[in-house]
Amino acid sequence: MKMLSVRDLSVVFGGVRALSEVSFEVAEGEIIGVIGPNGAGKTTLLNTISGLSRASQGEIHLAGSRITGRRPTEIAALGLGRTFQLSQLFPGMTVLENVMTGLHLRTRASALAAAFRTRGMRAEEEEAAAKAWQALAYVGMERFAHRPGTELSFGQQRIVEIARTLIGEPKLVLLDEPAVGLSLTRVAELDGLLRRIRDERGVTLVMIEHVVRLVMDVCDRVVVLNYGMKIAEGAPEEVTSDAQVIAAYLGSGFDAARRSS
Amino acid sequence: MRLAFGSRQFLALLFLGLALLPWVANPYILYVSNLAMLYIILALGLNMLVGYAGQFALANAAMFGIGAYGTGLLEVRLGLPYLLAAPGGAVLAMLIGTAITFPALRLSGIYLALSTLAFAMFSQWVLLHWYSVTYGGGGFRVPHLDLSPLPIGPDLGIYYLSWAVTIVLVVLAWALVRSRIGRAFVAIRDGEVAAQSLGIDLLRYKALAFALSGFYAGAAGALYTPLLGYISPEGFDLFQMIIQKSMIVVGGMGSILGSVIGATVMVAVLELLREFKSTQEIVFGSILIAFVLFRPRGIVTLLRRLPGWEEPLSSFDRRRYVVTAPSSPAAATGLARAAAEPTRGEGR
Amino acid sequence: MMMFGYLLATGITTGALYALVALGITVVYKATRAVNFAHGDLFMICGFIAYSFHVMWGMPYVLSLVLAVTAGFVIGALAERIAFRPLMEESLVSVLLATIGLSFVLKGVARGIWGGKGDFIPFPPLVSSTPMSFGGILVMPQQLIVLAGAVAVMLLFAAFFKFTRLGKMMQATADNQKAAKLVGIRTGRVYMYTFAVGTSVAGAAAVLMAPITLLYPDIGFVLFIKSFAAAVLGGLTSIPGAVVGGFLIGLIEAFSGGYISTNLQDVSSYIVIMLVLIFLPQGLFGGRSLRKV
Repeated sequence: MKMLSVRDLSVVFGGVRALSEVSFEVAEGEIIGVIGPNGAGKTTLLNTISGLSRASQGEIHLAGSRITGRRPTEIAALGLGRTFQLSQLFPGMTVLENVMTGLHLRTRASALAAAFRTRGMRAEEEEAAAKAWQALAYVGMERFAHRPGTELSFGQQRIVEIARTLIGEPKLVLLDEPAVGLSLTRVAELDGLLRRIRDERGVTLVMIEHVVRLVMDVCDRVVVLNYGMKIAEGAPEEVTSDAQVIAAYLGSGFDAARRSS
Repeated sequence: MRLAFGSRQFLALLFLGLALLPWVANPYILYVSNLAMLYIILALGLNMLVGYAGQFALANAAMFGIGAYGTGLLEVRLGLPYLLAAPGGAVLAMLIGTAITFPALRLSGIYLALSTLAFAMFSQWVLLHWYSVTYGGGGFRVPHLDLSPLPIGPDLGIYYLSWAVTIVLVVLAWALVRSRIGRAFVAIRDGEVAAQSLGIDLLRYKALAFALSGFYAGAAGALYTPLLGYISPEGFDLFQMIIQKSMIVVGGMGSILGSVIGATVMVAVLELLREFKSTQEIVFGSILIAFVLFRPRGIVTLLRRLPGWEEPLSSFDRRRYVVTAPSSPAAATGLARAAAEPTRGEGR
Repeated sequence: MMMFGYLLATGITTGALYALVALGITVVYKATRAVNFAHGDLFMICGFIAYSFHVMWGMPYVLSLVLAVTAGFVIGALAERIAFRPLMEESLVSVLLATIGLSFVLKGVARGIWGGKGDFIPFPPLVSSTPMSFGGILVMPQQLIVLAGAVAVMLLFAAFFKFTRLGKMMQATADNQKAAKLVGIRTGRVYMYTFAVGTSVAGAAAVLMAPITLLYPDIGFVLFIKSFAAAVLGGLTSIPGAVVGGFLIGLIEAFSGGYISTNLQDVSSYIVIMLVLIFLPQGLFGGRSLRKV
């Protein structure tokens, strides 16, 4: 059984075909890259998988369960995690609290329990704080634990966001351009972090990324989108030498012969 | 252990002062303090909805009115004793407040504000015109508060009842926001989309926020009824709405302490200007503009930095997670692991 | 049949006024995506200013009209500078809060200067009060003037947008802020003018309307809500929609008031707002669906 199975997915917004019959599968423990020129539909793809956009046609399955058309909260409960292109750390909370929020689905205290501070609720809070601390330590960010989310740099916020997503123990995580705005050293750190996440935690990753070095290093396979359609799929080296892919990025008038010199 | 003067101590002192007030104050001051406590309740409920959960709804004054009318009508038309009618009024306001959630889900920002405002105006119209039930514009009297067998008269009775209820509601709100509920609210306010991806059910938490603000406003209304002895649609109009909004803007949105501070300050201003309605309007309007322009996060931001005055959205023993400056990344991880282990023999 | 005619005439006349005020609301919304809560109160202040000129100081009506509209323009520009512009970056909710504050300040000022709560200021009619008959329908001449005036203002407005440079800049900014900036349009200035124009339109409406209804400080909010209902009904992004919405609200009010119950007059706009925002948020003519603000 595949971790993620996308079949003939089409998404139409008011006359625009954002995605056309996209199909691909992701096995458990793979790291898949999704690349393509701007406007190719990559973010729409992630949005549709995570339930924020509605599919017009096609099916999506997560670890065997059908998730097409389900609400984002249900899909999250089934084991999907997601990070966003623009940092979505909640400015009104500290970094640690942000990560604790990632445990929302794994904590149970009701409003009543919280208002009356039952023993169960307090124990749950302590446990959540401990887990959140560990998650921050895992990504090397624990020294910012009590700072408000906004005090961190953009790159640091992205990393914390990954911790916040991981703490919910998802099976599959969708990452939208995790490396954007990161310096070279940080990209290398991110590279290592992504591998550790896959190797140590067994999480499957699907990431949109433009930073070629990262894609080549970390991804097992790459899916290429252009104008909403999948135009190539395969190992990173294969895909980046594929003529169609190059044409998509650089324009169809590009001379193949020139490229190989 | 150092006794720091933090927000808890401040609140304790405030309520202690309020408890002792009847011994030294004249009836007018008592009345105003009682009113202040009711406004604290109103500000708390509104803040949870607007400040924490980010739902900019303008129907709170209507909920206040529904609570007051509900209580009064249950007493007068159905003959219920006050101690049954009051919860009834509060629950009625809560139910109606929750019912607003469903349309509110699709709207946000200005649309939410104006549609809830339209609803509030509609409610006021109902209170004004449904003579057969609400006695219309003339209003109606309610019986004096009878707390027998307790040996306490109606004036002191309502004062201490309000005092007790206010304390309970402050403590409950305080606890509620320091939990995953508080975090869920703020997550919805700060990033609805990310909140959903973390599994936070928007409908459920928005409904909770509306229900809470409805209940709090209704409770304030229920306490207002015996205080005035008389209910009419006047006190639940647009001006009331502005007063409440000003309280949380001035005090601080997204802050329990801010709600308390804002309520007390605004009630003081309101009473000082009681004589002149037009001056009231000008002053309130100007205060609102001034704060929105210059100090949108409210008075409480001046206090928040001080130790003991923070308002976290979590409840755990902070001493377990002390952050020290690392000399190297490896050391950082090592330190973190050490810090993360529970320290021995520490109480809470 | 006489009843119907009377209601129709009243509905169209008040509808014309709602249309004018709704125009102001829509124009500002289109340009800035914000709603000016104080719009109705600006209307009210202009009306009182006109009253001061015409009734208290005895100036001729047309001059008072012009002065009131100018005053509206200036006040609108000032309000934008002080309460609007600094907050535009922050959030639209802040703008709403600030304009709510402004609304109360204006009300308080009007109450302080011109009259207390419940004081209704009568404005003398421009022409004789003898009703005229149009095929069995009785119409007051003042109503005709109001209608004609309103239509004239609307046409001026449309011409302004179509033919003047400023008008075109306002449209461009309304359609696409970023592009407008790129092209060199000074959006800050344009906002100011948009506000000012919106307010002067309200001012014109106030002066036109004052003779047939009474002027009192609280009328600003009442008018704001009704005109907002009209704007929302027409679709907040559609200028013709605002006009149509205005007339519709006027007619709904007149007919529900006449045939069902006078009490329904005020509440029909509240109900319209709630129903439209819940079930048809883009209104009758609004294009795209509402972005979440």
